[in-house]
Amino acid sequence: MNGAVPTTIIVAGLALAGYALLTTVRNRRMGVGLLIALGVLEILLLVEDGLIVAKLASGPHPAGLATLIGYLIAMPIVPVAAAFWGLLERSRWGAAVVAVAGLVAPVLMVRLHQIWPVIRV
Amino acid sequence: MSEPAAPQEPVAAREPVAAPEPAAARPGSTRTGPGRVLVAVYALFALSASARAAVQIATKFSHAPVAYLLSAFAAVVYILATVTLAVGSPTARRIAVLSCSVELAGVLAVGTWSLADRATFPDATVWSGYGSGYGFVPLVLPVFGLLWLSRWRRRAGIRRPIVTSAEEASQPAGAGGPVPSAEDVAGPSR
Repeated sequence: MNGAVPTTIIVAGLALAGYALLTTVRNRRMGVGLLIALGVLEILLLVEDGLIVAKLASGPHPAGLATLIGYLIAMPIVPVAAAFWGLLERSRWGAAVVAVAGLVAPVLMVRLHQIWPVIRV
Repeated sequence: MSEPAAPQEPVAAREPVAAPEPAAARPGSTRTGPGRVLVAVYALFALSASARAAVQIATKFSHAPVAYLLSAFAAVVYILATVTLAVGSPTARRIAVLSCSVELAGVLAVGTWSLADRATFPDATVWSGYGSGYGFVPLVLPVFGLLWLSRWRRRAGIRRPIVTSAEEASQPAGAGGPVPSAEDVAGPSR
């Protein structure tokens, strides 16, 4: 499987985390910019989900199939949950929640690769 | 007037300046301010630890029963900490302190145990090697949790030292005596 999408997700997640942390350090609330960035990350994660499901449908399965399915379900929830939880906070810490989501995305990609090495990073 | 004026730069006109720290602005809760991040990270660990433990116990329990049971225990502690930090009532805060303490003790004990007795841990738990498989976040998280909770307890002990300017303005100018705090009016909360 082509590793372009996971690599993009890692870069996007780190960039989002950097942007969000900068927002926190500058004592700003999360604004539209962070929401758009979260949306981009969400789309990328959904694309990756789709690619993995297509791969699963075409035949081979990993040993830890249950874990993989768990990741497929949890992955797209991360940016959405971060957006809601972050928007509830009307201080700099809302952006810090978004930073956590940005950092989780690369971790998810590395773990996916460990669960099923055909998913390249 | 007592509010420290944030340095207003031109950019502030365009971007919303965050409200002052909830700690200084309003009573708040353990789920607001930095607590928002804590609850998010705790929720993440609650989800991943419980999902992982469920898969491990369901599919290969006999492979490493001690490790998997400890994973399940860790999951329960994370769920408890997430919920109590998010609720933030006095009782919930007490349970949260307990959860974070158990969590810290657990990560230290299991971390040491996993290094000393590798045979018992053919597969990792969340707390193996002091949480090294999770970037040592399991080791740091309860420390931040306890720090946040202790800060909260101190603030509650001072009995609402923060008087908002609106409350100040509503007080008669001569009433310099002690004003009954909300706790006195509403009855003790503990």
